[in-house]
Amino acid sequence: MKADVETRPVSASAAAKARGDVLLSVDNVSLSFGGVRALRDVSFDIRKGEIRAIIGPNGAGKTSMLNVINGFYHPQGGIITFKGKRRHDMRPYLAASQGIARTFQNVALFRGMSTLDNIMTGRTLKMRRGILAQAIYWGASQREEIRHRKAVEHIIDFLEIKHIRKTPVGKLPYGLQKRVELGRALATEPELLLLDEPMAGMNLEEKQDMSRFILTVRDTFDTTIALIEHDMGVVMDLSDRIVVLDYGRKIADGTPGEVQRNQAVIDAYLGIPH
Amino acid sequence: MLYREAGQFKSTYAADMAIFPIRQDRMALWLLLAVAFLGVPLLAHFRIWPLGSDYFLRAILIPFLILSLATVGLNILMGYCGQISLGSGAFMAIGAYSTYKFATGVHLPLAWFGTAISIDPLPVLPSILLGGVMSAVVGILFGIPSLRIKGLYLAVATLAAQFFFDWVFIRVKWFTNYTPSGSVAAPEITIFGYVFHTPIERYLLCLAFVAVFAVISKNLVRGNLGRQWMAIRDMDIAAELMGIRPLYAKLTAFAISSFIVGIAGALFAFVYLGAWEPLAFNIDRSFQLLFMVIIGGLGSILGSFLGAAFILILPILLDQGPHALGIPVTVETVSLMVLVVTGALICYLLVVEPLGFARLWSVAKEKLRLWPYPY
Ligand SMILES: Nc1ncnc2c1ncn2[C@@H]1O[C@H](COP(=O)(O)OP(=O)(O)OP(=O)(O)O)[C@@H](O)[C@H]1O
Ligand SMILES: [Mg+2]
Repeated sequence: MKADVETRPVSASAAAKARGDVLLSVDNVSLSFGGVRALRDVSFDIRKGEIRAIIGPNGAGKTSMLNVINGFYHPQGGIITFKGKRRHDMRPYLAASQGIARTFQNVALFRGMSTLDNIMTGRTLKMRRGILAQAIYWGASQREEIRHRKAVEHIIDFLEIKHIRKTPVGKLPYGLQKRVELGRALATEPELLLLDEPMAGMNLEEKQDMSRFILTVRDTFDTTIALIEHDMGVVMDLSDRIVVLDYGRKIADGTPGEVQRNQAVIDAYLGIPH
Repeated sequence: MLYREAGQFKSTYAADMAIFPIRQDRMALWLLLAVAFLGVPLLAHFRIWPLGSDYFLRAILIPFLILSLATVGLNILMGYCGQISLGSGAFMAIGAYSTYKFATGVHLPLAWFGTAISIDPLPVLPSILLGGVMSAVVGILFGIPSLRIKGLYLAVATLAAQFFFDWVFIRVKWFTNYTPSGSVAAPEITIFGYVFHTPIERYLLCLAFVAVFAVISKNLVRGNLGRQWMAIRDMDIAAELMGIRPLYAKLTAFAISSFIVGIAGALFAFVYLGAWEPLAFNIDRSFQLLFMVIIGGLGSILGSFLGAAFILILPILLDQGPHALGIPVTVETVSLMVLVVTGALICYLLVVEPLGFARLWSVAKEKLRLWPYPY
């Protein structure tokens, strides 16, 4: 599986896959904080099975967009449709229960817990035993724990973090923390995975590992991915389609090739005033 | 025998997820249980040192067990769920007075409705459990603000609970069955027809409660609910994103914590004190439990026992130690020394090792596990 991913001409096969139905669509979403208009009339869609990159200069509103999608921020205007249903009053735990998972720009792990426990929290929504069964533990609750432990061990194997299974995550180096965070999000078996700068602060080798994981997740778990990333090489390689934001506005939307040639994008990245 | 996990390969997840995955730990635990359930009663029965007189059982072991239980309860809320509470004394009081009311019969005239709620006196065991339930209900009510306020502000809210219930149990005579002095005496402890009278019997009763609730607590904190609590403690925003509902996680922590603290309160009143005044559960008690949690280790069941032992034994050591060495000390000096040592230790632990004695213990074990090879 691993070799398969590495030897294949990645972007070609990825593009071929990006022909699913629309999973999430964002229509004319606006968000402001006091005077700061973080998002202005942004519209785009994410199709099933694609890797959709969101790029833009610092402060463009990328993180805010993800926060709107998973219900941290409530946009003042616009419509969000997920799996064909228009969404109202979103809360993060509701978004989670509908199949949206997320990693953060600044790692947001549970620092006092081990790698294993961090990833196990991703299974919360799938665990059904009541408080009494958990208090007794033996029997139903233990069987449930073991079942989910197996699923989590699968993810730990996949992300190659077996050796740090029992380590408190606060003690891990940054690159591994990012990996554990990805594992925690994967444990929820999301339909839509939002990754906010998963490779920030990583060296080349770590970036390659992470890219490989992201592609494998899409290909084998059938997960749709929205990815914010500043490393253009990575973005062009991984993504099927790219949205470009600048000052809260969408300035371009298309395949990596189209976006690269777009004059507005070039200007925004070169800092040409408008 | 060496303390090692080498050679103890765990072939199943069940074995890896056991309460004590390492064999030596399990053996130590069985030994401890044997001493607690058999050794202590036997020594006490045959009046062998240090259990030659009732003093050790009555004044040290029984309060140690009960306060350990209360500390476990508080630790679930503070150590695992990260919600600070300065009102645990009040929850002990709610457990104690509710148990008292259930055990002596409840009569609540509701003049406005022209009726009255009357419950005949219940046996002691259900009364204690219902006392825990009452404490849990109040815990949930006082936990609701935690959804909005955090840290210091929550601490102040729980402090308000403490003062409110201090006042209630002094002023509302109904709770004390209108005794003129305001102090109440617990009825005889009879469970399934067996009267718990001697210190040994009372000790065993407490031990049974503590053992059961320690296992329950350990099971909860290592399972799904415990992970939800810790997730809320460490990073509530990310926890919500995993599908954890803050409302559910926090209120279950408040409920279970107050339930256990309430039961400890009932045992403290019925088994240890026998007769008590509202003062027994005032703010000092809350601070005592708080210190036990911090010194023992936030987020550790074992630590709760270590912390309780330390806080209870410290004054005895500081009193007996100088005497044994022939240094005369006054009672005031001793109580001052207790404050100084406790305070200094808490400052040290909060700055250097917030996970308390339990953490020092596991570091020592970690070293021992690798000894004599440092790597
Ligand atoms: N909670 C908030 N309160 C006030 N302003 C905010 C808040 N969140 C974001 N903003 C503002 O919204 C704008 C967009 O921020 P956002 O974090 O979405 O940018 P970004 O594209 O993710 O940038 P970066 O590449 O630096 O991560 C910025 O001007 C930021 O200051
Ligand atoms: Mg950002």
